[in-house]
Amino acid sequence: MQEFFNSLFWTDYGLPGLIMVGQIGAMIGVVVFAVAYLTYAERKVLGAMQRRQGPMTVGPFGLLQPIADGVKLLSKETIIPSQANKPIFILAPIMLFTLALVAWAVIPVNYKWVIADINVGVLYLFAISSMGVYGIIMAGWASNSKYAFLGAMRSASQMVSYEVSMGLVIVTVLLCVGSLNLTDVVMADRPFWVQIMLLPMLVVFLVSILAETNRAPFDLPEGESELSGGFMVEYSAMTYALFFLGEYANMILMSAMTTILFLGGWLPPFGIEALAFVPGIIWFVLKICAVLFFFIWTRATFPRYRYDQLMRLGWKVFLPFSLLWVVVVAGVLLTFDALP
Amino acid sequence: MTAAVWNWSEIIPALPEVFLAVSAMVLLVLGACQKNGGLKLIGTLSVAALAVAMVLTLKADWTPVTVFSGQFLSDGFSSYMKILVLGGLIATIMLSMRYLVQENMGRFEYPVLILLAGVGMMIMLSANSFLSLYVGLELQSLSLYVLAAIRRDDAKSSEAGLKYFVLGALASGMLLFGISLVYGYVGAVGFDAVADTLAAATAEGTVAPGAIIGMVFILVAIAFKVSAVPFHMWTPDVYEGAPTSVTALFAIVPKVAAIGLLMRLLFDPFVSLMPDWQQVVWFLSAASMAWGGFAGIVQGNIKRLFAYSSIGNIGFALVGIVAGTADGVAASILYMTIYMIMTAGTFGIIMMMRRNGVAVERITDLAGLSKTHPACAYAMTALMFSMSGIPPLAGFFGKLVVFQALIASGFYVLAVLGLVSSVVAAYYYLRIIKVMFFDEAEAPLDRESAPMRTLVLTLSIIFIAGFVLVPETLMHTSQEAAAVLLPAND
Amino acid sequence: MLETIAFYLFATVLTLSALRVITARNPVHSVLFLILAFFNAAGLFVLLGAEFVAMILVIVYVGAVAVLFLFVVMMLDINFVEMRKGATRYMPLGVLLGGVLLTELTMLFGAWKFSPQIAQNAASPTPAIDSVENTHAIGAILYTDYVFIFQVSGLVLLVAMIGAIVLTHRVRAGVRHQKVSDQVNRKISDSMDIQSIKPGSGA
Repeated sequence: MQEFFNSLFWTDYGLPGLIMVGQIGAMIGVVVFAVAYLTYAERKVLGAMQRRQGPMTVGPFGLLQPIADGVKLLSKETIIPSQANKPIFILAPIMLFTLALVAWAVIPVNYKWVIADINVGVLYLFAISSMGVYGIIMAGWASNSKYAFLGAMRSASQMVSYEVSMGLVIVTVLLCVGSLNLTDVVMADRPFWVQIMLLPMLVVFLVSILAETNRAPFDLPEGESELSGGFMVEYSAMTYALFFLGEYANMILMSAMTTILFLGGWLPPFGIEALAFVPGIIWFVLKICAVLFFFIWTRATFPRYRYDQLMRLGWKVFLPFSLLWVVVVAGVLLTFDALP
Repeated sequence: MTAAVWNWSEIIPALPEVFLAVSAMVLLVLGACQKNGGLKLIGTLSVAALAVAMVLTLKADWTPVTVFSGQFLSDGFSSYMKILVLGGLIATIMLSMRYLVQENMGRFEYPVLILLAGVGMMIMLSANSFLSLYVGLELQSLSLYVLAAIRRDDAKSSEAGLKYFVLGALASGMLLFGISLVYGYVGAVGFDAVADTLAAATAEGTVAPGAIIGMVFILVAIAFKVSAVPFHMWTPDVYEGAPTSVTALFAIVPKVAAIGLLMRLLFDPFVSLMPDWQQVVWFLSAASMAWGGFAGIVQGNIKRLFAYSSIGNIGFALVGIVAGTADGVAASILYMTIYMIMTAGTFGIIMMMRRNGVAVERITDLAGLSKTHPACAYAMTALMFSMSGIPPLAGFFGKLVVFQALIASGFYVLAVLGLVSSVVAAYYYLRIIKVMFFDEAEAPLDRESAPMRTLVLTLSIIFIAGFVLVPETLMHTSQEAAAVLLPAND
Repeated sequence: MLETIAFYLFATVLTLSALRVITARNPVHSVLFLILAFFNAAGLFVLLGAEFVAMILVIVYVGAVAVLFLFVVMMLDINFVEMRKGATRYMPLGVLLGGVLLTELTMLFGAWKFSPQIAQNAASPTPAIDSVENTHAIGAILYTDYVFIFQVSGLVLLVAMIGAIVLTHRVRAGVRHQKVSDQVNRKISDSMDIQSIKPGSGA
């Protein structure tokens, strides 16, 4: 036994591998826990905004509600429609949920607290988020139901459309930062006027992530009044739970992305040195919570968009604007010799 | 890191291309802002832009300059060919404006696409590396695919576009494959590096078969583009299916650019492989001349007929390349110039063929033209005589110079083949004259005045008739252009 | 060793999924296998140290191009089995040509040699891979040495866009467009008239 622990295999592969698995496990655990309590928070916040109480019965203040929900979903029977394309039908929710998790590999939650500190972290995040659409299309198609298919089509075109302006927003941030590494993005020295220039892009980004995660007011893919649940109409029990988890995990992921790109990650807000004694991770979590609150707040406030309005906003407003803003920012940075 | 400082003076040799590209984009925006179509305005402005680009090319220095890190080469040869291309594009737009309105396909994108195709052709002609060759070729081809299918409600036009696209994509694939083989051998894509490496290898007699096969793949791809037999299958269908104005464009311009590109490739990077490519081009040339002559005989559709005519004519143009001398290249350039001008005139007549407001395109529809439209009939006669190479019209001199160059290089078999095919082809050109003068018309063609089209037609007739008076000017220019390409043989 | 394992894993899955792309009976499965193939190709690029190319491959091909493929095959409902029936007629010829080409290429591969000058020709203009990230290296030559090609590629894409619009966009008559500015500029007084009505008198 002693021999094994001293062997090259253990020091080179075994131990680092175990550490990595441990990190991944911890990350997944935290994210799943966060997802569970995000649903709770959403119901509580919505309740407060609508002057009701939200979940109250299970546990103190209803705190055990998410666990009860989870147990209920797990113990139900999974129904697969007889005409469905079975492998794809099952693969779709798994893929959606997996994608929402793997993206966390590159998210730095504090200085150098990251599973994989890769050079092209921003592109990795963008690549993963652009793949999310497959889970939905596959689900819609494999269900072999017109509601599901319509919902999937809506969702796919919506996500593809808003990805374009999201990409341009990211490009603008990169212009100001000069690196694709997420730690560098946070640590980059951004003067005040650069932050101001990025402000309109923050607005575009916040709206785009609502569309990207199919959240209200852009939740047409689920549009229960006309599509009775959209692409997930045929899903039940465990598979449904995976979609649900995936959607909320995506929300948290997008909030983390916003935090890193615009809100300064784990750094204290507004660069106030006096607040630096608080650990970075706390700031990071608080900022994510702020963005998540924005998600829920929007849901409580705005009515659902009509489909053509949604497309118009994406292609005719955000795309030209963000394209223009990329040019403006690049021009300003070049003129004042502020390119990193 | 070495951040190369951008030098604006680099743009000067590429000024015509840059100007044309920018004006295409400006016209696109302008067209999109116009309320109803705006074809007339955009068309006129496109002609103006082409004319300005032509002036810029004329003003350009004819001494060779390479810019953009050796990707782009501007010299006498490229400038000459670019002027031809630009002239051809101007003629096409002028010919087709009326037709576009009549056929109800007056979209402002049409001239814009022509401009962009022109940019592509000019980049092809100025290519000094396989990369710029490829992007130029794709820019040109993509615009032409769209133009072929532009009448999207018409099954034939869509079919033409699709066929052209699929076969063109295949040709592009072959081109890339060939380029990658050559790159694999040489390790660079610049023409200069390829030429040096191949010359050194030829001197030692160690050229790898991989490089030669790569070159053959590239040749095949270009043969597709110039529609040389046996890579011509798309031509008749595309010519017939595409709207006549687009057919005119296809017949007049892209082949000039593609032949220019072929010459550049064969006499610049691949010049040391001349014995190898001469066999290939010999075959392409002989097969094109023969097939263009014989298959044309049975055609009833005039657009199809001119597809075969263009195949045959490409064969004659290739003859000059087979010769492998500066004279041969000069002859080939001159041949393409004359062919282009004759074709412009001919399509002026073909686009006039309408009966009761509907375009007709059978040869028999020309019957009795001498009675109803005598001026047109005589113009067509002159053009057909010139096409079949009857002295003293310009077409005769074109054929004369290529065969002179060929015989000077000692390719007697090809010369005889060429003469025979030329006689066969003369049959169908003369048949058109016979139909016009000796057949009875069932119903007369429409009478209409299209001043632009008449202008192009008149210029074309003046050229083919007047060439005999001052043949030296053009011949000298073409020889100068060829001398740039083949300085050693001069 | 890990890299070798990863390479064989990616390469095997890539080859197998590429094979399934052309053998799968269901076109949707074909596209999904194509996506898997792209993904594994990206993995191979990562192993080569070309992480930028890998990410771009995923973003562009998986995230955009293949989505459109999937849209097309899902919406069109083409029966590929039916289409293949005609193809079997030309199968012998295709196999023959493919065989000839394969033999030629094998011979070519066997007799392959590089030019003696290749080392000098292929001397890379980029800085050494360990001194600068490859994303920076690509940027540094893409916008300097290859700026011409880059711009012309942009023009090619422009043409593709024009083509797509020309060939598909049609102006339909009788479509009622929403004018957002009109809606925004609408005042309450335009549509509503507040009247004070005395009790018992009626409107």
